[in-house]
Amino acid sequence: MKVKKALLKDTFKEITRTYKRFISILLMALLGVGFFAGLRASSPDMVDSIDSYYKNQNVYDIQVMSTLGLTNDDINAISQIENVESVYGTYSRDGIIKTNEKEIVSKILCIDDVNIAVLVEGNMPQNEDECVVERNFLIGTDKKIGDYIEIEPEKTEEEETEYLKNKKLKIVGVVDSPLYISRERGSTKLGTGTINYFIYVSKENVNSEVYTEIYVKLKDSNKYKTASNKYEDYVEETKDKIEEIKEERENARYEELINEANDEIAKSEEEFNTQKQDAETQILDAENKINDGKKQIEDGEAEIASNEAKANKEFADAEAQIKNAKAEIESNTTELNNRKQEAEEGFKQAENQKAELQETLNNLNFAISGIDSSIANKQNELQTAEDEETKYKLEQEIIVLQATKQGYESNKQSIEAGITEIDTQISSGKAELEKAETQLNNAKAELEKQEEQLEKTKKSTYSQISEAKEELESSKKEIADAEAELETSKAEFNTKIEEAEGKLIDAKEQVAEIEKAEWYILDRQQNAGYASFIQDTKSVENISIVFPIVFFAIAALVSLTSMTRMVEEQRQEIGTLKSLGYNKFHIILKYLIYSSLACIIGGIIGMNIGFQLLPRIIWDMYEMMYTLPKFIVSFNHQYSSTGLGLIYICIVGATLYSILKELKDTPANLLRPKAPKYGKRVLLERITFIWKRLNFSQKVTIRNIFRYKKRFLMTIVGILGCTSLILAGFGIKDSISSILPNQYEDIFNYDIQVSLKTTLTSEQINSYIEELGQKEEIQNILETYMVSGTSAKDEQSETVQIIVPKEKNEIDQTIKLRDVKTKEKFELSEDGVIITDKLSELIGAKVGDTIKLTTSDDEEAEIKVVGITENYVSHYVYMSKELYEKSYGKEYSTNVLMLQDNNLTEEQENSLMQEIVAKNEVSTVTLTATTMKTLDDTMNSLNYVVVILIVSAGLLAFVVLYNLSNINISERIRELATIKVLGFYDKEVYDYVTRETILLTLIGILFGLIAGYFLNSYILGTCEINILRFEKVVKPISYVYATAITIVFSIIVNIVTYFALKKIDMIGSLKSVE
Amino acid sequence: MPYIELKNVCKEYKMGEITIKALNNTNFTIEKGELVVVVGPSGAGKTTALNILGGMDSVTSGDVIVDGKNIAKLKNRELTKYRREDIGFVFQFYNLVQNLTAIENVELATQICKDSLDLDDVMEKVGLRDRKNNFPSQLSGGEQQRVAIARAIAKNPKLLLCDEPTGALDYKTGKQILKLLQDTSRKENMTVIIITHNAAIAPMADKIIRFKNGTAESIEINENPVPVENIEW
Repeated sequence: MKVKKALLKDTFKEITRTYKRFISILLMALLGVGFFAGLRASSPDMVDSIDSYYKNQNVYDIQVMSTLGLTNDDINAISQIENVESVYGTYSRDGIIKTNEKEIVSKILCIDDVNIAVLVEGNMPQNEDECVVERNFLIGTDKKIGDYIEIEPEKTEEEETEYLKNKKLKIVGVVDSPLYISRERGSTKLGTGTINYFIYVSKENVNSEVYTEIYVKLKDSNKYKTASNKYEDYVEETKDKIEEIKEERENARYEELINEANDEIAKSEEEFNTQKQDAETQILDAENKINDGKKQIEDGEAEIASNEAKANKEFADAEAQIKNAKAEIESNTTELNNRKQEAEEGFKQAENQKAELQETLNNLNFAISGIDSSIANKQNELQTAEDEETKYKLEQEIIVLQATKQGYESNKQSIEAGITEIDTQISSGKAELEKAETQLNNAKAELEKQEEQLEKTKKSTYSQISEAKEELESSKKEIADAEAELETSKAEFNTKIEEAEGKLIDAKEQVAEIEKAEWYILDRQQNAGYASFIQDTKSVENISIVFPIVFFAIAALVSLTSMTRMVEEQRQEIGTLKSLGYNKFHIILKYLIYSSLACIIGGIIGMNIGFQLLPRIIWDMYEMMYTLPKFIVSFNHQYSSTGLGLIYICIVGATLYSILKELKDTPANLLRPKAPKYGKRVLLERITFIWKRLNFSQKVTIRNIFRYKKRFLMTIVGILGCTSLILAGFGIKDSISSILPNQYEDIFNYDIQVSLKTTLTSEQINSYIEELGQKEEIQNILETYMVSGTSAKDEQSETVQIIVPKEKNEIDQTIKLRDVKTKEKFELSEDGVIITDKLSELIGAKVGDTIKLTTSDDEEAEIKVVGITENYVSHYVYMSKELYEKSYGKEYSTNVLMLQDNNLTEEQENSLMQEIVAKNEVSTVTLTATTMKTLDDTMNSLNYVVVILIVSAGLLAFVVLYNLSNINISERIRELATIKVLGFYDKEVYDYVTRETILLTLIGILFGLIAGYFLNSYILGTCEINILRFEKVVKPISYVYATAITIVFSIIVNIVTYFALKKIDMIGSLKSVE
Repeated sequence: MPYIELKNVCKEYKMGEITIKALNNTNFTIEKGELVVVVGPSGAGKTTALNILGGMDSVTSGDVIVDGKNIAKLKNRELTKYRREDIGFVFQFYNLVQNLTAIENVELATQICKDSLDLDDVMEKVGLRDRKNNFPSQLSGGEQQRVAIARAIAKNPKLLLCDEPTGALDYKTGKQILKLLQDTSRKENMTVIIITHNAAIAPMADKIIRFKNGTAESIEINENPVPVENIEW
């Protein structure tokens, strides 16, 4: 035990003394394990992250869609299947949102319990008129939470009701969707053909008879990790079971639809018939009415005529009567006037009599008044007379006088009576006259009145008659109008009937045309975002295999040199121990502990950093492309132990190798200083004519290079590794960036691809193509029939696009068919198909082989391959029209047009596209520019790999070079001290050493460039995506970059070396025995 | 004015908290063309003095005048220049570059030096004309030391400093080396300083400097130097 203690103490002292060496080994272990573990863990971490995301959001395992929609019966049927836990029917539809004069196409999804959206901000929709949008929506449309949007969902032909109850929706929140983790939103028949965003509405807002998709969640799927083989097998198993009920359900849905449609047709037929009858009776009624009206008019006319005659006669009679009456009045008036004259004369006589009587009366009155006064006088005298005889006399006289007076008075009375009588006679005569006159006047007035009345009556009668006539006229007109109306109604009726009948026939035809339902049973792999994510994890995984190998190799080399040097330095100590009787194990133990400690400490630090850092860095890069709520970094025991184990084998193995080699020597030999390496002539010296031309320092350099072979090798390998990694990095970038131009600018020359609707007749197609051809913007049109399918040879099969040009000679202008190497053009012929190179590689089909081509309509044909053409994206099979018709027994019909435009700008292209997409004949339009952009985004992710490559190459270069430079100095310190003593300036000492390094670096770079070329091919080969062919070519400028970057790294190390050299202590170094 | 003069030279090393005085107020002078033997026990400071004189070490205080130049005041780069042009070193362990042939080792020194001697002449002088293309490993110790001397004198230095040049050699070979040094001093009129712990060879010198406790204890001028062949030890 004591022994061990002493050894341990010695070991730890050794570590503190040679901390630089310890750290450099530790660093190599750190880098090796860190990179290995970190890179290897990145892909599983990415998978873990999406796995937990998908589990949390209850994302489907299987998705079922049908061309005819899905019903509750379908849900029930699927629910019955074994392993199915829950089945969700849900709706989705594309729609257009108009904002700021922009048309945005959006996928309208429903909030559901499956594929649950993650709320990022705001609230989930509570009401029917609310919606939530994706993050980019707000950025892209300048809308805020709380704003309203108006959405117009796509309408299907047969649909009568609106798909959404509320089309004006309030944005209440922002969500992420597990269905859309990438930026890809899919394609649509609306707008520009590309879906821009997704939005979620509440399920209650949707008005749809059928589900658009069914999502199936399996019982045990959460037990497996998504994308793992177990998971996929499990899902596949259930998919197969759904596949079994597929046909039955398809038929059921088809029947259902047919029955529904037939019912509807029957109903509408019935309706049509009753309506037709109604209309016919209505017409009949109208006709009758018109006839009645006509008769009435005739009657009216007759009546008016008779009435008029009658009135005429009546008025004539009345007028005659009035005339007679007038004549009578005239004679009466004359008579009256005569009587008046007579009466006037009578009156005059009576007046005269009266006047005579009046005179008499007046005389009498005078006489009376004289008597009265004589009486009065006599009375006065009586009164005054005193004698009685006077008085009597007087009294007698008065009596006489009074008697006279009495006589007079009676005369007067008779006269007065005469006068009164005369007056009475006059006044009665006058009254009689007056009365007659009045009577006459009255008669006159009466007559006049009568006349007036007659006039009035006449007028009104005649106006009545004319009114009646007018009325009759208008009635006549009305009837005429009605007749005309009836005519048009009849015509209308007929056309309507025709139309309705036509429609009925159409409807019947449509029913006949209803295609059988087709189910699509999909899984997560068909989700674009998920699939590309998983694909990316595979790329990361592939790369994580290549990289660490380089690191391990270099770690092994570095530790080998370091430890060898250490053992050499301690040769004497080893000798001493050995001579003291320590056994091999005890001696080895020190170095074992030393290197193990460095290795384990470095490894543990490395794996901790690696697990945290690298997956995150890689994720940071991928995060730009994917939206995942959380990235899960885990400590992977498998990778950490593998990494540590591998680095342990490398480092400790290297240590053991060097120590065991040394231990073979006898203690005596060990105790003596190791004989310095003998100088030797190098091969080059024998080639005197070159050797002679070298100056002294060049000779020295060359001889030194060959002297320290291990270092020579290591420098070259280190630099080689560094350069090749950098070159591979740039090479990948070159290859990636050349794919798109190669495919879409060189091989494919079309700018717009137009898919026509399948329902078109060949006349419609031809006239549409003619129409398109007249557009100024379009330069050339290639008519093709394009169908997807699979191409298989033996067990290998790949999905392909089969392209059949209408004119085999015209394809050349749009698609280049040529040999990859010779660029020799191919012609399409009847003998066989031309397939793309990657396809040929994948299915192993060469020229002359026969492949099985199955179209998506399940039609098969065995065709010979006659050419393999250059291609970079996707797989294509080209065949001539004649060959197609011959092989499949089907007639060729154009369904895809490839347009070349006249160098339009992006804007012009977009507007042209909208113009085209608006056409009825067109189903979808794809711009090559858009395709390129989408692919470009995907490929940019690979650029990050380049960054990782360069950074790690730099780290590697630095560690290796620094380590080398340290070993170089320590190993040659005596030599360096000597030349310092000889008076070499610092710069000259530096040159003396680095001249070799520079030469070695240059050699390393040279080999590195060569190795890089192959590494590039290798990495591209391993991370190549199935549908892409990377052109394994490195651009010249990349060689320059790789060289320059490596040189920069070595310059940095050389600067460090310069200062280390400056510090060399001449005296100290020369004192010891070598 | 002497060719070389050390005036009150002190050299201290700090080892942690302890200060070691390697040289303590050392004074001596050497004339041009003199063959000087410095003797003294280990740790007396003779190597330190030689290193200072050779521009490999700095002084703590004092002046070191070589051919009118105070090298104690020189900066690093000037010291290197001084070593390069004025000094030739011969070490106990030869310090040849193993990877270079004999003549190349000499060339290593001459290629950085302005008025160096002809390589072949030098090789002739040290008696290695026939072995000049051998690597050090192919030469005996004496031969190696001859190469080292050739390397030192090929620069045509003002001062040839030899630190225990015979320490690793057998008696006979050592004698031959000393003879070579003495001859060089005589024939080329070169100032040669030889450090040795072997006081027996002192009679060959023109001047004998004895070191003790970090200082030149005695300086003795030998009026009649004995040829090396005649010295026995």
